[in-house]
Amino acid sequence: MTSLADNQSEGKILILATETCAYPGADSVGQAHSSYPANTFILRVRAPALFPEHFYLDCFNKGISGIIIMSCGEECPYDGAYKAMATRLDRVYVMMRQQELDIRRLRLTAICTVCNRAFLNEVNQMNKVVQELGPPQMAQS
Amino acid sequence: MADENKDKAITSKRKVGVYICYCGGNISDHVDVEKVRERIEKLPEVAAVRTNMFMCSDPGQEMIMEDLKSGAIDRVVVASCAPSLHETTFRGAISRAGRNPYIYEHANIREQVSWVHHGDKATDKATRLVSMATAKAEQLNPLEPIRVEAGKHVTVIGGGIAGLRAAKDLADRGIKVVLLEKSPFLGGQLASLDQIAPTGDKAADLVSDLAGQVLNDDSITVHTCSEVESFEGYVGNFRLGVKKQPPEMDPEKIKPPGAAGEAAGEFIPFAGVYNGDMPSVPAEFTVETGVIILATGFKSYMPSKGEYGFGEYEQVTTLPELIRSMAENKAAGNLMEFNGRKIRSMAMIHCVGSRQIPGIHPENEGGYLNEYCSRTCCSATLNVSNIIRTSHPGTRIFEFYRDIRTYGRGQEELYEEAARNQVVFLRFEDDASPEVVRNISHSGDFPLMVKVKDTLTFGEDVGAPVDLVVLVTGVEPNTISDLVEMMKLPVGTDRFLLEVHPKLRPVELPISGILLAGTCQAPMDVGEACNAAGAAAVKAAALLGRGYVELDPFVALVDLEKCGGTGECVNACLSDGALNMVDMEVDGQTVRRAQVTPALCLGCGVCVGVCPENAIEVAGWTLKQYEAMVDRIVAEEVTA
Repeated sequence: MTSLADNQSEGKILILATETCAYPGADSVGQAHSSYPANTFILRVRAPALFPEHFYLDCFNKGISGIIIMSCGEECPYDGAYKAMATRLDRVYVMMRQQELDIRRLRLTAICTVCNRAFLNEVNQMNKVVQELGPPQMAQS
Repeated sequence: MADENKDKAITSKRKVGVYICYCGGNISDHVDVEKVRERIEKLPEVAAVRTNMFMCSDPGQEMIMEDLKSGAIDRVVVASCAPSLHETTFRGAISRAGRNPYIYEHANIREQVSWVHHGDKATDKATRLVSMATAKAEQLNPLEPIRVEAGKHVTVIGGGIAGLRAAKDLADRGIKVVLLEKSPFLGGQLASLDQIAPTGDKAADLVSDLAGQVLNDDSITVHTCSEVESFEGYVGNFRLGVKKQPPEMDPEKIKPPGAAGEAAGEFIPFAGVYNGDMPSVPAEFTVETGVIILATGFKSYMPSKGEYGFGEYEQVTTLPELIRSMAENKAAGNLMEFNGRKIRSMAMIHCVGSRQIPGIHPENEGGYLNEYCSRTCCSATLNVSNIIRTSHPGTRIFEFYRDIRTYGRGQEELYEEAARNQVVFLRFEDDASPEVVRNISHSGDFPLMVKVKDTLTFGEDVGAPVDLVVLVTGVEPNTISDLVEMMKLPVGTDRFLLEVHPKLRPVELPISGILLAGTCQAPMDVGEACNAAGAAAVKAAALLGRGYVELDPFVALVDLEKCGGTGECVNACLSDGALNMVDMEVDGQTVRRAQVTPALCLGCGVCVGVCPENAIEVAGWTLKQYEAMVDRIVAEEVTA
């Protein structure tokens, strides 16, 4: 019953997708039957501003190879949440550098409900990055 | 289909039931559903795993309800299509089983697995998504919806036939209505028609009758020349900023109402019913309302210059223009007249601006194609042809079509009648549209020639010399980008507004309290638009019927045992008044702690990210739940 298709070495990509924009955007990609790498795991979030800095570091520590925050961008239904989250992300990048983590492993982008091409582009780019970088190695685990 | 793994050591306090859908092959063609079931049965928190061909069917839902009622499970995960389609369906089933609907989590294994991945990878990913959902479900607690008062008031945007129907139906149920129409007239596009197929009703009569009922109803306030400028609030408590201003009108087409002494309530042909309300200066006002019904309608497709000779030859026109000409010139005679010219022979070309095909039809200036069928034009064209052939028997008609779609009651008869009336039909292939050219061989006789490879005569090249070419133009959604932007309305790839579910929730949007009526959603005929409007009115009445509405309980919760009163959450909060520092008694001492006002909380979670004590969460979307899901993404044993 052991499966090789779900091999850990592929590098897992966590996607935080906003429920009003990026998550239906991912559904739209599905409706178009456009294939993308299967090492992607989408979490539906109300606003990614919910996640504190340590969440991202914890994810890398657990073995997540890349994280894409797919927000609503300027379309954010919570006025001010996007800015708050972008500011917080600056601090996460500082912490990632301290941990000697390549900051390309974490990317903030905006995906709308029908942004199929942008979704696929982001996923494929991050997949290239995680294949290139391999599993995350923290300086202080 | 074993539903329980009895050998498993139960280490969880919860009993999660998992229900995996085949979706009639949509999922099971790519995901080995039974293998997913076998793997998920091993998870400690899972008490039962079942599969079904269609979990959303009655038997599928009953399976969940029976397990809840018997006590076999106390949390529910359904793995099926996107949650936007059926999350409410399954929450409803849980409610019907007498349980709290928020003990539910959804795993999206169709749109985000089987439609995008294949083979073992699809099965493995589906397994992980389901295990992530069960890990979250284990931590779900029952939640109570937030109850807020809702005014029994509906705003209908758009004064066409659908908007009028919805307004009147609501008023008949005792609900106050504001009807906003941007033009000075009521009746919408229907007012631009004459005799309606297949019943033969006069559009003027239909519009006048319904608009009269609306204008005479004390429960309905009509504002013409009015457009929504701002939008805020939520179901039960929306607030619309409206601007009312003198309209811009083409005096060539429409005379200013009142100039010819029209009385309020009078029908002005090809404009609509004038309600006597013509502002001379702009004004702004606010509407507080519980539900919004969008009835923003459609516009007729305008061919581009050169499309079948449109704009190049004066003898090429559109079906709406022909209908208007016929209504304004009803003189009998052997030959029909158009623009003062007698028409001996005419061509109708179907599907202009509809059913456009990528690679064959050029994209519009906006870069889009109208790939949909406009649905109403076949019958409208046949109806016009029958009127012409009956009133002006000397005028010959050639109809050039790809397919004839007379789909409704009494409409197929129009086709048969047209055949009896000796209308000549010529059929063309998708990639071989007719050509409209100047008729050189018969110069001075028939000005135009329509050439086509006619598949009804096995591909014969046919040319029809004509005096007039009528382009049967389809429908396009009205440009409502301001409303789409303001209200965050979902729009389909066809640019019409997109309902939550085309079959099960056909007039609802994902935004609670905003409903759809008529052709803003898709091409419809008058009856269908009125049906949709009636459905929207019933939905609105049901939403407001209790005097309150229930909002999702996904709002911030403060854990007073952890809260140290730093006030970081209050500083970060995006909604004025949602979070406040208040004095309260803890262990006999007065301390300042954070307190949530649920009705004002947006549930965005900004407060969660800043709390140094992890003392605040968004109910139903907690950080711990997300962390548990991440653990399942990386857990090696899940797909082993």
